[in-house]
Amino acid sequence: MTFLSRIFNRGMSCQQVAALLQQYLDDELDVSDVPKVLDHLEACRRCGLEAEMYTRIKNSLLNHRESPSEDSMSRIRTLADALSGGVVPEGVE
Amino acid sequence: MREARRPVGREGDAYHVGVEATRRQESKEGEDGFSRYVMPELDVLMRVARSITGNPTDADDLVQDTLLRAYRAIDKFDGRYPRAWLLTIMRNAQINRVRRKRPELMRDPDVTLAIVANTDSDAKTPESAVLDQTFDAAIERSLAAIPPQFREAIHLVDIDGLSYGEAAAVLDIPVGTIMSRLHRGRKLIRNDLTLDPEFERTSS
Repeated sequence: MTFLSRIFNRGMSCQQVAALLQQYLDDELDVSDVPKVLDHLEACRRCGLEAEMYTRIKNSLLNHRESPSEDSMSRIRTLADALSGGVVPEGVE
Repeated sequence: MREARRPVGREGDAYHVGVEATRRQESKEGEDGFSRYVMPELDVLMRVARSITGNPTDADDLVQDTLLRAYRAIDKFDGRYPRAWLLTIMRNAQINRVRRKRPELMRDPDVTLAIVANTDSDAKTPESAVLDQTFDAAIERSLAAIPPQFREAIHLVDIDGLSYGEAAAVLDIPVGTIMSRLHRGRKLIRNDLTLDPEFERTSS
């Protein structure tokens, strides 16, 4: 954040945003703080790049997500459907 | 001959008809609750079970166990935070399963998560599909290198998609601890990337 914007804009400081950045990226931040963090990220290049880097890291980590096999999903859905109907299938403890 | 007291009267009388009706009503509500609260969470349960157990077969068994426990407990569930409720059931089920079946092989969940974290996946989001493969490879190396407790938090939140509260329920630790581990783990990954000249431009 530039020197002038620090003087004229009484928004969050870099330190305050750094403390809230992870919660913001995880959608866990209090809604009242979201606009303040957003304003700062748009105005401050350094914090904006930091947020961009963590966003890239989060997106990259999603590649590790494994989808269960169709067989597994089908078995579990069959059991869940039976239980939804009030039936405990034979052989299931 | 004196007539039997009401509570032990003949089947078909007004008392028993009422009891049966109540049972049917409770059973119906339980079935409705199961459909409403459990069915939407099957995908998440499958993902987290895979993270906890480390292999597909055990994951299937764990989800099955979790569903049965949820089915039996659904009448007592108040309907608040179903995912966290189910994840707590899953955690307890896993503890019991491991204790009962293979105490000598009781795996450290941190080690389990480390193995899972290093496994490739076919499932890519549109956003992640366009990311540079070199960047992904660097992230993978960094993730494998950070302390297990940080990796575990990152796995549950960033990979399995749990909220802080849900991840805390799985690990039975305070939300603040999840946040702390998550932040420290990500910072280590981020700092690791900074040391890589290829990413210096975007990370500084």
